[in-house]
Amino acid sequence: MTIESKTRQGILMNTTRARGAIIAVVLTFAMVLAACSSGSSSSGSSAEPGTKASGHTIAVPSDQPTIQGAVDAAAPGDLVLVSPGVYNESVNITTAGLTLRGTDRNTVILDGEFKLENGVRVLGADNVTVQNMTARNYTNNAFFWTGVRGYHGSYLTSYRTGNYGIYAFDSVDGQFDHSFASGSPDAGFYIGECFPCNAAIVDSIAEYNGLGYSGTNSGGNLVIARNEFRFNRAGVVPNSGSYELCYPERETTVVGNLVHDNSQADTPAIDVAKLAMGNGIIIPGGYNNLVMRNQVWNHERVGIALVPFPEDGPKDDIPTGDELKMPCSEARNLPLADKASLPGTLLWDAIGNRVEGNTVSASGIADLAFGTLTGTDDSLGNCFTGNSFTTSAPASIETTMACSNPSGAWSDKLDLVALIASARPDSGDYKVQPVPPAQPNMPDASTAPGQPAVNFPEKINIDSIPLPAKP
Amino acid sequence: MTAGAPTPAVSQSPRHLGALAQFGLVIVCVVVAGSAIVAGRSVSAAASVTGFQSIVQGTVPQFVVRCAFSHAATDDPIVFPGDPGASHRHDFFGNRTTDAFSTPDSMLGTDTSCQQALDTAAYWSPTLFDHGVPVVPQGADVYYRPGPRIDPTSVRPYPHGLVMISGDAMAMEPQSTKFVGWACGSGGDPQVAAPVCPPDAPLRLKVVFPDCWDGRSLDSADHHSHMAASVDGRCPAGHPVPVPQLQLTVRYPIHGEGHELNLAPGSMLGGHADFVNAWDQTELESQVRLCLNRVLVCGVISNKAEDVERPLPSRS
Repeated sequence: MTIESKTRQGILMNTTRARGAIIAVVLTFAMVLAACSSGSSSSGSSAEPGTKASGHTIAVPSDQPTIQGAVDAAAPGDLVLVSPGVYNESVNITTAGLTLRGTDRNTVILDGEFKLENGVRVLGADNVTVQNMTARNYTNNAFFWTGVRGYHGSYLTSYRTGNYGIYAFDSVDGQFDHSFASGSPDAGFYIGECFPCNAAIVDSIAEYNGLGYSGTNSGGNLVIARNEFRFNRAGVVPNSGSYELCYPERETTVVGNLVHDNSQADTPAIDVAKLAMGNGIIIPGGYNNLVMRNQVWNHERVGIALVPFPEDGPKDDIPTGDELKMPCSEARNLPLADKASLPGTLLWDAIGNRVEGNTVSASGIADLAFGTLTGTDDSLGNCFTGNSFTTSAPASIETTMACSNPSGAWSDKLDLVALIASARPDSGDYKVQPVPPAQPNMPDASTAPGQPAVNFPEKINIDSIPLPAKP
Repeated sequence: MTAGAPTPAVSQSPRHLGALAQFGLVIVCVVVAGSAIVAGRSVSAAASVTGFQSIVQGTVPQFVVRCAFSHAATDDPIVFPGDPGASHRHDFFGNRTTDAFSTPDSMLGTDTSCQQALDTAAYWSPTLFDHGVPVVPQGADVYYRPGPRIDPTSVRPYPHGLVMISGDAMAMEPQSTKFVGWACGSGGDPQVAAPVCPPDAPLRLKVVFPDCWDGRSLDSADHHSHMAASVDGRCPAGHPVPVPQLQLTVRYPIHGEGHELNLAPGSMLGGHADFVNAWDQTELESQVRLCLNRVLVCGVISNKAEDVERPLPSRS
């Protein structure tokens, strides 16, 4: 949409007002547009509010009795420092560059008492950091960023939440680290609807969730490294689908994680988690992901699998060519495919994924697996190499689907019917999932200055991340 | 009754006024960009009443509430207040106390079947029968969005006590699927007749409420005329206040062949739904201000959240 048509829209929206008001609105609109473009030309300048710590601290409860009160009183770059206590609050943050921190991760507790929706919600405020606290008993999410550039969740503990634990949607340039998410029916950690995401989840633990990690239509410099995904229904499950924007899921690097015992039958679980139960790392319909040097063991079904995602009632067709290169900010403006041209079920195949150097054991169906429903298996560009494993489907997966000179002569691909056959236990109650043990505190929580979330994710040297040993 | 003034998006202490001015500009830029995106996704160019939005979730700002089925009764506190048993049978969602005697004030602070405990509003729709037996709904999903191409920053919360009805219980002709229709699963667009649905995308009744208010009346004699639908992204002169476009989707465990369906009013054409705003008003205002006015997606209900077990894919 051009600036001219934006301005016209601005006029149309205000035709019920007096003529003078219209002129004022148009003038304001033009000024805003001018300011926006001049702002973007000087992006990264230190003058942008909220990109630097202000040095100002608001203490809870001594300066402000409630966290929300302190957040509302804060300016960009301020630090809100919360002392131990149980806070029955649902905190909304709309101030850029805020740092919200507990002085003690295990005793600064946000508690929704199964009545409040979200522990902390960051709403379109860039560069907000949330550190060193616990959120529990929320009907929706514990920690949630939406529509932001720049975010950091660090030393966070979430448990017993009705949807997600630690969650970023339609957000870029962020990182979750040293965090612990337990007891969500959807995902403990979730990064969705972004490309390129420029984000990372590192040094964290997810357990007793429907899914340890999930991300619909996310990717592009997205790194999931050095985490432990254990005792979830399923471990790491990113997927594609036109039911949300920025399809497909792609270019996510899953490296150096411990992924084990994700066959837990009594977790809370949405239906996808039930369907994915018993799988360690499974990528339904993802593109160009790297799955490297993960230690994966004890799964009822498969250790690492690339499978199709059949989407019923799709909203759009699968993007191709240049559309696949567009950042989400552009691709989201593309017109949808004509409804009549769409199939009843849209098949997202896993394409161009590389599975390398993992150690996988004790899987019920296969340690390594690839499945497709289309029959054009060898043209999808997925490959397996250098893994330590015992069973696979197809049987000689590192020969038939080798990363160089694949033989391609195979017919015993993963039996998808067997993969999702058999009844699954109903969802457990998220309100009764285990309480996590005390978790490590961030260093110098009481004295460190505010740390606006700029320059995230931190640089991660993928090559230096080893295969982790079993604990 | 007047519409409440919009609350400022950011409140700051005086010592930061300079930074606030700059920051405010940043917010406006974000909002402008968001509006362009919203407009970019809407394709209809003809001047017409706009209702149902066939969109990918995440395209427009929204907040969502997921509610379990609460109870059924032959009550209707909007059409037959104080007259229990006078109505055809309704399925109630949200407020658990809704009956013929309910008022917006009596509902405040009571229990709800919604995941959002502060949503104590009442939602109801006619009971669906299969071979004459009431179908117990799986629940209802409620979407709150700006109306199609409405400037999201202009949307005001409903006043406490506002009531709305969308659809016509007595319809003998097909109603516009812009406002009432049947669909399979969350991805399906509404149709006049209930389609035969696959097991992983069962039957739903979708009802879209009008998104413009007259700014004065909480109700009207016909329970409709204080509200109107926007036209081409604008509220009509007599109904100048944009309010959230509420879409109620009632989910039924109905799929496959062999059903004989009818709605409580008698005909499957009589799809409708009712709403009484008994939200915790502070929370409703907060959601409108933080999510819709700031052009943000505060939650999604996607097809991954179906309650029904998916079938096995067939092998090629």
